[in-house]
Amino acid sequence: MKEHIIDAKDMDEKELNRTIKEHAVSYDKLIINNPESRHNICAGLTEEVNIEINGSAGYFVGTMVNGSKIHINGNAGWFAGDNMTEGELIIEGTAGDGAGQGIYGGTVIVKGSTGSRTGEIMKGGTVIIGGNSGYMTGLLMMGGKLIILGDVTDDVGESIMRGTIYVLGNVKSLGKNAVMDNATSDDQKELKEILTEYGFELTDIDYTNFKKIVNMQ
Amino acid sequence: MCGIAGVIYKDKKTHLVGEALTSMLESLQHRGPDSAGYAIYGGLDFTENYYQLNIEVKRRRGALDNLKSLLTQFSPIFEEQFIESVGGSDVYKCKIALDEFSLLQPCIQEIDELDNVCVINGSHSFEMIKDIGKVKDIAQRFDVQNRMGTHGIGHTRFATESGVDRYHAHPYQSYIIPDITVVHNGQITNYWKIRDPLERKGHTFESFNDTECIVHYMADKLNQGYKLEEALDQAVIDLDGPFSILVGTPNGIGIAKDKLGLRPGVMVETDEIFAVASEEMALHDVTDSNQIEQIAPGETRAYTI
Repeated sequence: MKEHIIDAKDMDEKELNRTIKEHAVSYDKLIINNPESRHNICAGLTEEVNIEINGSAGYFVGTMVNGSKIHINGNAGWFAGDNMTEGELIIEGTAGDGAGQGIYGGTVIVKGSTGSRTGEIMKGGTVIIGGNSGYMTGLLMMGGKLIILGDVTDDVGESIMRGTIYVLGNVKSLGKNAVMDNATSDDQKELKEILTEYGFELTDIDYTNFKKIVNMQ
Repeated sequence: MCGIAGVIYKDKKTHLVGEALTSMLESLQHRGPDSAGYAIYGGLDFTENYYQLNIEVKRRRGALDNLKSLLTQFSPIFEEQFIESVGGSDVYKCKIALDEFSLLQPCIQEIDELDNVCVINGSHSFEMIKDIGKVKDIAQRFDVQNRMGTHGIGHTRFATESGVDRYHAHPYQSYIIPDITVVHNGQITNYWKIRDPLERKGHTFESFNDTECIVHYMADKLNQGYKLEEALDQAVIDLDGPFSILVGTPNGIGIAKDKLGLRPGVMVETDEIFAVASEEMALHDVTDSNQIEQIAPGETRAYTI
């Protein structure tokens, strides 16, 4: 595997993204050091390249990515993975509001907790949150799977149209248009496949405790 | 948008707070290009009766002379500094003595009645620096990098209401009790519901800016005997709208985030410091720690020394 290290310390956002795009065509893996929470890292990246970010990223990390796999050893700011069409964004720490906002495909994983409006207006793909998620999780969802392993606060699935929200922890309240039921055995099987693939270790009892939130119609 | 930042050093000793806040605010510059400001505590070596005034003086003939003439009716001028600025006006900074704190606001109101001058603030235990323009320019203009203190708060403003001028830059302060300051990212949507009862209690509002409303609200709560944490908790209940509020007091800083978490806020606490900011990148300017925490919707955090 051909690897290349990029030290982002003295680069501005545009310079960093230009450097990533230049090297993405000729390397299998890019390691970005000293990201220093810059915004828009890897924005619009379309190469099938592995990116490892050592440190935290700012807003809109991995926005509009198509096919790249990004792994952040740190936290992310607001709107991580926004509008992703294909690929993978894994965040080892926490993320701000709107993680997985508007994704069409691919997978966004936040190992820690997220802020409000996680997975809002997502149209496809999968978003997994290892911790808790905030207000209006799954707002205006139009498709895809949003899986929360911790608790969610008020108005989950507010104005949800399509797609499914699975919650393992407590649900404080549902939003308009949303109804909650227990996950079926088929749902549990699918959840186990997805979560096992990404290294989440849950017991069989845990899977039976998943709640499923969908549009009421 | 707007960017907020605050830092407090746990050892209670003075540090280059001005330098730390400038680094943080420069990292948040993209969140607000209109103006910036600081409230730096613990750096002024004032005895009980001394106050520092920051006064905007327009470049009009006689404006400064008239100001000094009025000031001497209140107090001798002990120290003074004239700082050339932008926008057709400059800043006059001076040290005066008053018998008691309650005389400060009447003094300021009388000065404000003069033509071509506007009091930006009057403080006892902290230094207020705020001006229009970019953080870097303001820091250079006012020599902020060398300002020492135990703690402080700062702000970069993206104006969404009221004027883009020196007075409407943050922080704001209240004169009900000494040296309470607030910086804020957001909007208070029940502004009049909060302002009306405060005015009836005697708080004097100088603008229609919602941040001024918050500082009067906080001062009122602290004046009633609330601790900083308790006042912030009550603010989350009473204030509507999206906000992250950062409050400075003579011995601490504290942050509150609205119930829905619609404005950002992160924090870090180490053995040396407690720091908060709108974005994580600002925290990395003051610590190498990666133990960054997202402040949850409706959460409040404070640290006092």
